[in-house]
Amino acid sequence: MSTIRIRSPAAFWLALPAGLWMALAVVLPVLLIVWVSLWGGTTVSPDNPITFDNYRRFLSNENYLWLIGDTLLQTAMIMAITGFMGYCIAYFLTVKVTSPGWRLALFLAFVIPFWTSTLIRAIAFVPFLGVNGLLNQALMGIGLIERPIQAFLYSRLGISMAQVSLYTLLASGPVVYMLNSIPPALREAAMTLKAPPIIVFWRIILPLTLPGIIIGQVLVFLNVLADFITVTTVGGNKLAFLGNLILLFYEGSQIRMTAVVSVLLMLLMLAGVAIALRIVDIRKVGS
Amino acid sequence: MPEGPAIAQLDLELRHIRKRYGDFVAVNDVSLQVGKGQFVCLLGPSGCGKTTTLRCVAGLEEPDAGDILIGGKEVTGEPPWKRDIAMMFQDFALFPHMTVARQVGFGLEMLKKPKAQIATRVAEVLKAFEIAHLAERRPSQLSGGQKQRVALARAMITEPRILLLDEPIGALDYSLRETVMLELKALQKRSGISFIWVTHDQNEAFSLGDHVVVMNHAKIEQQGAPDEVLSRPRTAFVAGFIQGNNVFEGRAGASRDGVLEVVTAAGLFRVPLLDLAAPAAGDALTFSVRAERLIENPGESILNRLTLRCVTVEYFGAFRRHVLEGAGGLIVKYDQFGALPPSMREGDEVTLGWAQDSGVLHRGPSA
Repeated sequence: MSTIRIRSPAAFWLALPAGLWMALAVVLPVLLIVWVSLWGGTTVSPDNPITFDNYRRFLSNENYLWLIGDTLLQTAMIMAITGFMGYCIAYFLTVKVTSPGWRLALFLAFVIPFWTSTLIRAIAFVPFLGVNGLLNQALMGIGLIERPIQAFLYSRLGISMAQVSLYTLLASGPVVYMLNSIPPALREAAMTLKAPPIIVFWRIILPLTLPGIIIGQVLVFLNVLADFITVTTVGGNKLAFLGNLILLFYEGSQIRMTAVVSVLLMLLMLAGVAIALRIVDIRKVGS
Repeated sequence: MPEGPAIAQLDLELRHIRKRYGDFVAVNDVSLQVGKGQFVCLLGPSGCGKTTTLRCVAGLEEPDAGDILIGGKEVTGEPPWKRDIAMMFQDFALFPHMTVARQVGFGLEMLKKPKAQIATRVAEVLKAFEIAHLAERRPSQLSGGQKQRVALARAMITEPRILLLDEPIGALDYSLRETVMLELKALQKRSGISFIWVTHDQNEAFSLGDHVVVMNHAKIEQQGAPDEVLSRPRTAFVAGFIQGNNVFEGRAGASRDGVLEVVTAAGLFRVPLLDLAAPAAGDALTFSVRAERLIENPGESILNRLTLRCVTVEYFGAFRRHVLEGAGGLIVKYDQFGALPPSMREGDEVTLGWAQDSGVLHRGPSA
């Protein structure tokens, strides 16, 4: 409980630094990007007329529409895989591992790799997935394959493997939190009401962890949509998603198109978060 | 395998249940028989094994040894969802994401009853428990007393053979407890379902139970009808745990005509042996005398007597309790009806005694 009252001078002054920062570092740049995306003309000038032509041009190009669809498909696939794996890991760690020592050890083994920055972990997948990489050598070592598999690196498969490994923790963490907040008595109460374990999971545990699943999915959704690093490093230059398109337009000095794709990407993200909020009230989680 | 023949008339039978967690023995050789429709209270201090015993009956814990029979059927290895029981948890364990109606119908849903039948039955039960108006609420919108009713309705709707209750009114406001206790007792009588009620509150146990089981250190110290346990505690623990007993320690002296002389630091007292064998002279033993059976200024015929100094007088309304101190730090409690005029004040020197048959000899520590 806060002792500071809403709308009091103290509350105003406390909110000011963060508010200023958000206005200058987030709101203003976003408004600028939206503005630039509406520029007509050909020069870089504040006097450009305002028009929706850029959007019309982008959205009438079938290739770009496919790219949007492909980006969403990739995101949905990573969300599904990390969601499932993340839930399994969370359930295993919190419910199945009963010894506190083992739980801590496994939990650390799961979490510590994520202390490294996403960029470094993405780059680290290159030597792991390469032709002479660790994965190929291991598979040949145990005799599963005879020749190294080329398709691991610079391919959609490689990007997906890397992204799954990068973002599983995001899907898992909120579920761990929700699972931990379920009193054991609920499970026991359901069992004494004649519910076998699978029904207990389906009717009690899953619904109660749903907010955790949704929050995890939102995090994965936002991260995969924004991820251009993994796509460039692990995917080489063979593949592009929306995030990479922004970079490509930017490097090609097409400032209007850069802004258009940025705005579209932001709208997609906002739409995703809005849908998630309709399913579960994130503000209520933990109360 | 059960040793003896299963008795079908019993709702529950525990045969030599043992449960340990590592080095800690939680339940040690607990045996219990619960007849049809009995109200049994497991009473004891926290950590005495009463809750673990209850959880063994529910199937939430598996005993290391011993047999559990429900309705004459051996269920020791069966999971909770295959046992003919229901359970009420201390904090009610309501499902936060289900409405009251859904919650109460959950057990019937698990029994795969037709939807229409569930709806009718839920409506009936909600009405019977006077919670029909709460049907669409969620647990977070309920008060403690309402939660308790919902939890009870949820457990009772499947009409189990036994209802297990783990401190079921411990989470309620004090003012609510007595009403709820009376209601539960009436409900138990009406339904004919056996109740096994775990509590550390002796008032609950003695006013509700047909059969009271006092546990300590993982073992049953004594079981029997409430008045029997109250008037004839069998061990020093039971006597001490039940309020209002004065427990004396001493050594056995001579015994004659069923009366044992006990030598204590405060003097020599005569205690009836009743059904106990006379201990060898010099054996350490304990006996107790209830605080309300002491007599002020006892007549010449009363041989058991003590001179004490009154230390405190506490008035409880129904009775007045005096705490008195004797030689060698002996503490004696003396209770008097609250309506009687006060007869002693703090600091007074008084003589208290008790009729010979008021003394209750306990079993030896090893027995």
